[in-house]
Amino acid sequence: MIRLEHVTKTYKGDVVALRDATLEIEKGEFVFLVGASGSGKSTFIRLLNREEVPDAGRIFVAGKDIGALSPWKVPFLRRNIGCVFQDFKLLSNKTVFENVAFALEVIGRPRQVIRTQVPAILELVGLGDKASRFPHELSGGEQQRVSIARAFVNRPLVLLADEPTGNLDPATSVGIMRLLDRINKTGTTVVMATHDRGIVDTMRRRVIELDRGSIVRDQARGVYE
Amino acid sequence: MAIKLDYVIRETGSNLARNITITIASILTVMVSLFLVGFSLMVSQGVRNATERWQEGVEFVVFMNADATEEQISSVRADLESSPEVQRVTFVDKSEAYEEFKRLFSDSPELVDSVTPEILPSSFRVEPVTKDADVVQALGNQFQKRPGVLKVVFASDTIRLIQQLSSRLTIGMAVVAVILLGAALLLILNTIRMAMFARRREIEVQKLVGATNWFIRVPFMVEGLVQGIVGAAMAIVMLVVFRPFFESWLPEDEFPLFSALTTSSVEAFWIYVVIGVVGCLIGTIGAGVAVTRFLDV
Repeated sequence: MIRLEHVTKTYKGDVVALRDATLEIEKGEFVFLVGASGSGKSTFIRLLNREEVPDAGRIFVAGKDIGALSPWKVPFLRRNIGCVFQDFKLLSNKTVFENVAFALEVIGRPRQVIRTQVPAILELVGLGDKASRFPHELSGGEQQRVSIARAFVNRPLVLLADEPTGNLDPATSVGIMRLLDRINKTGTTVVMATHDRGIVDTMRRRVIELDRGSIVRDQARGVYE
Repeated sequence: MAIKLDYVIRETGSNLARNITITIASILTVMVSLFLVGFSLMVSQGVRNATERWQEGVEFVVFMNADATEEQISSVRADLESSPEVQRVTFVDKSEAYEEFKRLFSDSPELVDSVTPEILPSSFRVEPVTKDADVVQALGNQFQKRPGVLKVVFASDTIRLIQQLSSRLTIGMAVVAVILLGAALLLILNTIRMAMFARRREIEVQKLVGATNWFIRVPFMVEGLVQGIVGAAMAIVMLVVFRPFFESWLPEDEFPLFSALTTSSVEAFWIYVVIGVVGCLIGTIGAGVAVTRFLDV
């Protein structure tokens, strides 16, 4: 599903964010990216979403070389990739329903589809009764569920999560992880960057550790360190 | 994927409403600048129409009687052409006079219908060697009493003054209009930039979930276009209201035959078309520049 071949990414000022990274992630895998701040986890995520383009090497997502993708095709790549962030990125002037519907609207889904799919996905993330609330009326965990619903409503092949539990307390984080696990069980590949030792050690999934841009560990059923 | 019309209307509407004061400012600037463009076009066209026979150098016109004989006309012509004080003579015959009449009064078909080439006077437009008023006056008066001559009409100081003023006025207004159009362009650019800034989170999310670049751009482009079109429409309305006022501008006695400073409906229509097109262009260019420069998609 995802393959990196000797990928290097350097930012201005010679900061090496990713150095000669080669790895493969199979369809349906659940992968943790761990490492200290500045180790390249976010760059890894941004490269997969093509917010960044590698300086060297090639990245394949769903069989396509996304470094060679022409810019007008990027939106269509992103429709196959869901994204979840630490700060949720919800639109505060839209209700829960509208926030999720937005993801379908902007890719031109018919209103009929939106009316059936949005309530279904809100039910899945456990917010069936909060469709008409605004984000500020929800707890952090609930807001993250909305953002997961938005990322997943389009049934992407890959779900990228950049520290999705970074702003949440441990109990709430467990709920979010259960949700990501359920999404993973539907066959969606999940790549999650995290600092949360407890989660990684409990889930026992594949762990890729980055240190100053280099992959220093790639362990099946791994632990945080 | 087609971009839905209701989406574009909704987004454009909320963008316009969000920055209502700046939007009004840019629409008004477009309006004022296009009004000035139209105003100067109308004035210069009107002056051109009204002073058509007083082209540069023509100092007096000898009108012949409508029933003047060939001999009378050719005798006047021979004297004019042989006079050392005359540089150039242009003869306007009845049918040419009729064509000019038809063109200038195309707004009043009943007036044109009531006139035939036969009843219009033919005339000589005379460019003397010198512009000295006394010499010109003396030269013209020689023909005043000739058989077959209806009247000698001199290019008065008033006409020259109007021609001069109108050309300066036109240039001055054109300069001001260009500056204002530039200001309008920048204001439109800025409203769109602000609209994009206000919506930066939405744009970020749109990109995240795979909206195409055009999907994100179009509402902003339409916003600029709307500002240009609304400004142009208001300028046109103002010109329509002001147009009758231009038409009774000049003192009747200075222009014995074609008195009013008029533009025909056809000419006015083309001026409106020019203004509409310029309005659309300003809006589209402003929006296009803003979208490509400030929307990092």
